[in-house]
Amino acid sequence: MSEYLVQHCWLVPVLPLLGAVLTAVTGRFLGKWAHLPVVLGTGLACLVSLILLGSADHPSTVNVYDWLNLTDMHVSILFRIDGLTAMMLGMVTFVATLVAVFAAGYMAGDPGYARFFALVGLFVFSMTGLVLSSNFVLTYAFWEGVGVCSYLLVGFWHSKHSAADAAKKAFLVNRVGDVGFALAIFWMWSVFGTLDYDTVLDPNRVGALKESAQFWIAFLLFWAATAKSAQIPLYVWLPDAMEGPTPVSALIHAATMVTAGVYLVARSSTLMAAAPAVQLIVCAIGCLTALIAALIGLTQTDLKRVLAYSTVSQLGYMFMALGSGIGPVARLAVIAGMFHLFTHAFFKALLFLGSGSVMHSMGHVIDMRRFSGLRQRMPITCWTFAIGGLALSGIWPLAGFFSKDEVLIAIASASHAAHDVGLPEWTYQLIFVTALITAGLTAFYTGRAFFLTFFGPEKLPSPNDPEAEPGEQLAHHDHHGHAHDHAHDHGHAIGHESPPIMTVPLIILAVCSVGVGMVFGPWSGSFEELLASTPSLSALSMEHVEHSWLVPILGTLMGVGGLGLSYVLYGLRSPVPGILATRLKPLYLASYRKFWVDEVYKALFVMPTIILGDIAAFLDMYLVDGLVRLVASVPKAVGTRFFAPLQNGLVQSYAAITAFSLAVLFLILVLW
Amino acid sequence: MTVSLADPMFRAIVGVVLGALGTFLLLPHRLGAAPTWARSLSGVLLSVLSIAFLASLWQVPASAFNAIFFFAFAAAAITASVLMITSRDPVHSALWFAAVVLATSGLFLLAGASFLAAGTVIVYAGAIIVTFLFVIMLAQQQGRAVYDRAARAPLLTAVTCFLILGGLVYSLLSLKVEHAEAGHGLVRPIDRVAIEHPTSPNRQVLNRSVSPTARLNEPARVSPTETVPEVAGLGASLFTDHLISVEVAGFLLFVALVACLAIATPKPPKRPAVNITPTEVPI
Amino acid sequence: MPAEVFSFDLLLNYLLVGAALLALGMVGFLARRNMIVMFLSAELMLQGTALTLVGFGRYHGNWTGQVLTIIILTVAACEAAIALALILVLFNRKAALDVTLWDAVREPELPEPPGPAEEAAEAEPLEVVPGPESYPRLTPAGQEPAHPASAWTVRRD
Repeated sequence: MSEYLVQHCWLVPVLPLLGAVLTAVTGRFLGKWAHLPVVLGTGLACLVSLILLGSADHPSTVNVYDWLNLTDMHVSILFRIDGLTAMMLGMVTFVATLVAVFAAGYMAGDPGYARFFALVGLFVFSMTGLVLSSNFVLTYAFWEGVGVCSYLLVGFWHSKHSAADAAKKAFLVNRVGDVGFALAIFWMWSVFGTLDYDTVLDPNRVGALKESAQFWIAFLLFWAATAKSAQIPLYVWLPDAMEGPTPVSALIHAATMVTAGVYLVARSSTLMAAAPAVQLIVCAIGCLTALIAALIGLTQTDLKRVLAYSTVSQLGYMFMALGSGIGPVARLAVIAGMFHLFTHAFFKALLFLGSGSVMHSMGHVIDMRRFSGLRQRMPITCWTFAIGGLALSGIWPLAGFFSKDEVLIAIASASHAAHDVGLPEWTYQLIFVTALITAGLTAFYTGRAFFLTFFGPEKLPSPNDPEAEPGEQLAHHDHHGHAHDHAHDHGHAIGHESPPIMTVPLIILAVCSVGVGMVFGPWSGSFEELLASTPSLSALSMEHVEHSWLVPILGTLMGVGGLGLSYVLYGLRSPVPGILATRLKPLYLASYRKFWVDEVYKALFVMPTIILGDIAAFLDMYLVDGLVRLVASVPKAVGTRFFAPLQNGLVQSYAAITAFSLAVLFLILVLW
Repeated sequence: MTVSLADPMFRAIVGVVLGALGTFLLLPHRLGAAPTWARSLSGVLLSVLSIAFLASLWQVPASAFNAIFFFAFAAAAITASVLMITSRDPVHSALWFAAVVLATSGLFLLAGASFLAAGTVIVYAGAIIVTFLFVIMLAQQQGRAVYDRAARAPLLTAVTCFLILGGLVYSLLSLKVEHAEAGHGLVRPIDRVAIEHPTSPNRQVLNRSVSPTARLNEPARVSPTETVPEVAGLGASLFTDHLISVEVAGFLLFVALVACLAIATPKPPKRPAVNITPTEVPI
Repeated sequence: MPAEVFSFDLLLNYLLVGAALLALGMVGFLARRNMIVMFLSAELMLQGTALTLVGFGRYHGNWTGQVLTIIILTVAACEAAIALALILVLFNRKAALDVTLWDAVREPELPEPPGPAEEAAEAEPLEVVPGPESYPRLTPAGQEPAHPASAWTVRRD
């Protein structure tokens, strides 16, 4: 069964695609059942993926389809099944199925219901294709595919200005990263002559490269990853991408697509490990991203934005882990990073879906200042959110604890190994300290979001709030009217628990958030085994790391400390945060305004581009077009003067001209 | 080349120029001004002169019978065609055309194409001309119209067409001159020309047209010296060597029939309302 | 008829006459504005061609020239049929056979060709053709028949 499915692993991407096509074609007839094909397709794909996990220990490559078959040129679509792929497949399809079920409730009544599910199906197709691909080109193609799906889904409510802008921003920023990927592919093609993973990631061939090639290929691959996985300096699109529907944020911008960059770096770990300098850059960038995103997350009032910055921060964590893969730590680092990716997918999807549930219940208000004390009204959402928050904060024995612990251990080991590969030790030590601080910050802002939303005096959003946007009630109906009206249609007033179709996925994800760490983590070692079977990873050196008790204790302390502080400050509604905000106004503003990164980018990149465009438009309109018009005016004048009168519509004058020309030609011929 | 009336080329040029002038004078005025006597008379004179010059280029056939009839038919054909294109009344034009057809049929007879002569008279004079007259009567009951009295750019037209005629006559006469110089008998008259001007395209075309290579590999069924049963030979050639052509011609006729039906099927009248003046019909 | 050697000079005679007919037909086609005369002129050009072909056929001593002439005859018949049908349709549109009226497909902003008014000013006066009013009146005999719905000049479809 399992072997049969390995040969037919194309089923995994094709089933959701089939669902998407069905939904797209028959959506208007299916009406409110339009989600069924996609949910079924994704669910079946999930089933297949879970079975595939069983045969992941012996990697295999499957020739799915001969795309081009010329005499001396064969281009095949090759898929591969190994530990890394099987893990990603299982995670992606599992989360996608739950999110699709959740969205069936969340999106009910939206005019674009069928379009939404068609796009989700298309996304699952692209994402599974991305992780299944057996060479860089195919990966690149699906990489673009998920980018397009992300663009379409962020701009799902395209009539809303901010959503359209966010979609555009996401797309353009991702293009910057794609340039890096494309350059990396060109470079690899020129030095390897092939782009197949098995060949390119062979440690012997990688080792034979020139040092500059090693450095730049690894650097370009990381460049590509910074855009897709929202790292400094290209993280700016992800917080804005929260304009999309919340299930999309959960699926694409928290659990799956944004981890594509992490996956790419992990997949190319042989290349990355060969360039310790790049690894240090990766680690430093990840660390900086994690810290800055966490700092911004401290003061955001929009629940989804807090989670978005948390995602950026956690992705930074993953890159920290991957970046510490130097020398003997290489395999451990990749496993730590991927394990954090794996657990993060569950609890971050859970948190986002929880926020979606809140949003659904609050009539699409997501500003935390406008509601509080919802734990009585929404018990299931509250406690599943709490589990997700605890997991994110790294509290024992939830999933986040184990993965964060592994990341910290990887960094700590890297600081020991740094000296051997010629990197300064203090860098990794500094990164380790920063990672610990970030862990505390993470716990703090997670707790803040939780306590602001679910604790304190009960309060529901009303248009009379000082924070309410002017004319909200109207805008409400314009932009989100569909979902809002739907709530009323079904007798679902504001401030009630969401229907079971939404809460059941929350519960399942909560169970996973609790369990995956214990089941797959270091206790059983199954995750490590699974990944270690991946060819490129098994080639990496693995040193037995002494398990120090200090690291997990420090991590837990930071988590508990952050949560405790947030309970004191926000759970008990202390006046201290307000006082601090006024006392430390500049710091508060810096965080609240996201360190003015958007403004700086606008001044540095957007405005020059616009000015350049204006100049080009001016030149085009007056210089180029002027020349063209000048050139065009000559034949026009000649034609008007001499040739237009010949076109007088009279048959005989045409015939006379023909005859005259004939006469002239004939005489030339005769008298020559 | 001395310029004298003895030179056929000179006579040809003069004839063509005079013909152009005469035809222009005889053609209707550009805006339909009434022809003056002087204009008409000079036109007639010039045309007659031109025809005379053209006729002077013709070789007189050996037998008197052929000579008389050839000159008569040829002159009649040209005269009738001049009258046809200059006549102000379309009915007259049609009748003059019938005269041209009759004269041409006479020339056909002289060339030994008696079946074609009969066929042309029957088809043209008998069918086509009658149809034309029928249409004229149907469409133009008021007699002559303004547009029959005016010509479109008569001078330019006459000059253009007589330039072409001049070119044709010039090339034919140069062939004749070379033929005479070659001193050959019936065929292969211009081998020398072909050698002298091997690249000139018109020479090549003319060479091929008057050299025996145009025989199409078939034996001469009409001997130059004896007459054979005309219709039998033509029929045999038509239905053996040119069978496909006959089929194509039949198909062409059928297509034309369909086209006529498609075009002339009555549709709602689109005549401008102002032009409709229903006259009271006396009973 | 007496047999005579059809020499090259005799062929030239035919070719010259054919060329003259062709040129005159071209003059007529280009200069005359009456559509019927135009098509008659086209037939005239075909006659000139036919004469040439017959001459060549006789000169070469084969039937090809005559066969081609028969084909030309066929084409001429087809052409005449279609031309007459077209002329009838066109006449139905504008109530005139003047080809100058059909100049709708032209460059805009060109000066109009000389119109009927201008031509009428220059043209010789048209002789008055007596119309239906001059027809003899018959004595009514028997019962008066029912009048047709429209005047006889209006085309009935």
